[in-house]
Amino acid sequence: MVKITLLILTLATFMSASSFEENCLKCHSKDFKFAMMMKKYTQNHSSERKIKEAIFDYLKNPSADKSVLPYEYINRFGVKEKTTLDDATLREMIDIYYKMFNIKERIY
Amino acid sequence: MYKSEKQTIFYVLGLYLSSTLLLIFTLFSSYYLYKLDEREHQEKRVLKDYALVLEEKLLGVHKNSDTRYEYPRFREFQSAIYDIDKNLIFSTLQKMPKNLEQEFFFQGDNVYYIAPLKPYYLGGAYAVIEKKQEPLHIIGDIVIAALLVVLIALVTSFFLVKLVLRPLRSTLHLLDNFIKETTHELNTPITTILTNIETLGSEECDEKSMKKLQRIKTASMTISNLYQDLVYLLLNHQVASQNQTLNLSEIVRQRVHYFLDTANAKKLTLDVTLQDNVLFFADRQKMERLIDNILSNAIKYTNKATTITITLLPSSFVIQDEGNGMSQEEINRIFERYSRFDKTQGGFGIGYSIIKSIVDEYGIRIVIDSEQKKGTKVTLTW
Repeated sequence: MVKITLLILTLATFMSASSFEENCLKCHSKDFKFAMMMKKYTQNHSSERKIKEAIFDYLKNPSADKSVLPYEYINRFGVKEKTTLDDATLREMIDIYYKMFNIKERIY
Repeated sequence: MYKSEKQTIFYVLGLYLSSTLLLIFTLFSSYYLYKLDEREHQEKRVLKDYALVLEEKLLGVHKNSDTRYEYPRFREFQSAIYDIDKNLIFSTLQKMPKNLEQEFFFQGDNVYYIAPLKPYYLGGAYAVIEKKQEPLHIIGDIVIAALLVVLIALVTSFFLVKLVLRPLRSTLHLLDNFIKETTHELNTPITTILTNIETLGSEECDEKSMKKLQRIKTASMTISNLYQDLVYLLLNHQVASQNQTLNLSEIVRQRVHYFLDTANAKKLTLDVTLQDNVLFFADRQKMERLIDNILSNAIKYTNKATTITITLLPSSFVIQDEGNGMSQEEINRIFERYSRFDKTQGGFGIGYSIIKSIVDEYGIRIVIDSEQKKGTKVTLTW
């Protein structure tokens, strides 16, 4: 039973990771500063719930006001396009992103 | 020092001291509360400074780290950060605070300060600063100061009472001196009167003159009795007791005989029951004073043509009259010197004061049962 559970969990992780690659890394290459973005979100929104909400809100309706990037950056590259992902997938991707880069678990 | 004087001193001292204590308590508790408040402000200021230090360090860690974030630690204080939803992010606290609602509070030995943070470095929206509270070492000082003030108040009040009572004391001394001097002058005339009356026989006078002579004798005996009391009071502390085994039955018989004329003048019946050879170890003069005083009081305060019952048993002596009696309050005050309740009778009110001093000296128990309009019963037991 334990083995089966472990197997399912490992599979799920791989699947999630691969879906993250497909849904996010397709556009954001691996050198995209995910950690820096997480720092900005954490600094502005504090808790996990608020951070996830803010990311979700931004990706659904991106605007210069909501962006955590510096003004100069937005001015040069513009605001990103709206996400094409459905809500459930988007939330799943945000969860993976938070899990991979959140600051809370990296404090020692 | 008289009992009433002592009582006044105690009352005044009590009043003075209690008001002083109340004042001291109010002053010192206000001072203590002020000090507590002052410490609170001091602690708050220090904790606020620590919060600023923490915030600065958090900023440094947040900006300069990328993968791992080392939480800042300090020797002077401990800290924790909570996110905006009040979930704990990281803590070095020894004891977790029970709530984050109060900005500043004491919990156990520690004092806590909760500072809001913005921006949320490392996600921290609230910083909790914890440090050991500074002890307040003023209770010992306050107690010493209070004791000192009470001591000063005690000494001051003692002198104050003395000052207030001085006129009263001088009046009492004047009265004592007056009695003393009068007493010395009384001795010779009383002795002369009584000796001469004794020498006059019935053959020398007619019946009418004899009656008058009897009245003079009774009156003189009353004065003589009073004289004896006064001498006892004035010399009481100067003459040592000459204790010996006394035949109380004999003494009581003699004293009853001595008062027979006085009792007859009031048409009193003396119902005397004496057990023979009741022995008691005491000073003869003092025993006579004791019996005389109880007996003369009974005769003096009983109603005319009534019965006085005198009973002597091996370990008790009872005299019961049928006079006006006394109230409980009067009985309680009866042993005070110069206290008299029935102003219709003469006397200085020193009788019971003498009785008290003698019964106390010989460990005799005295019980006074009295009912108003019915009479008084004095019981001595030993």
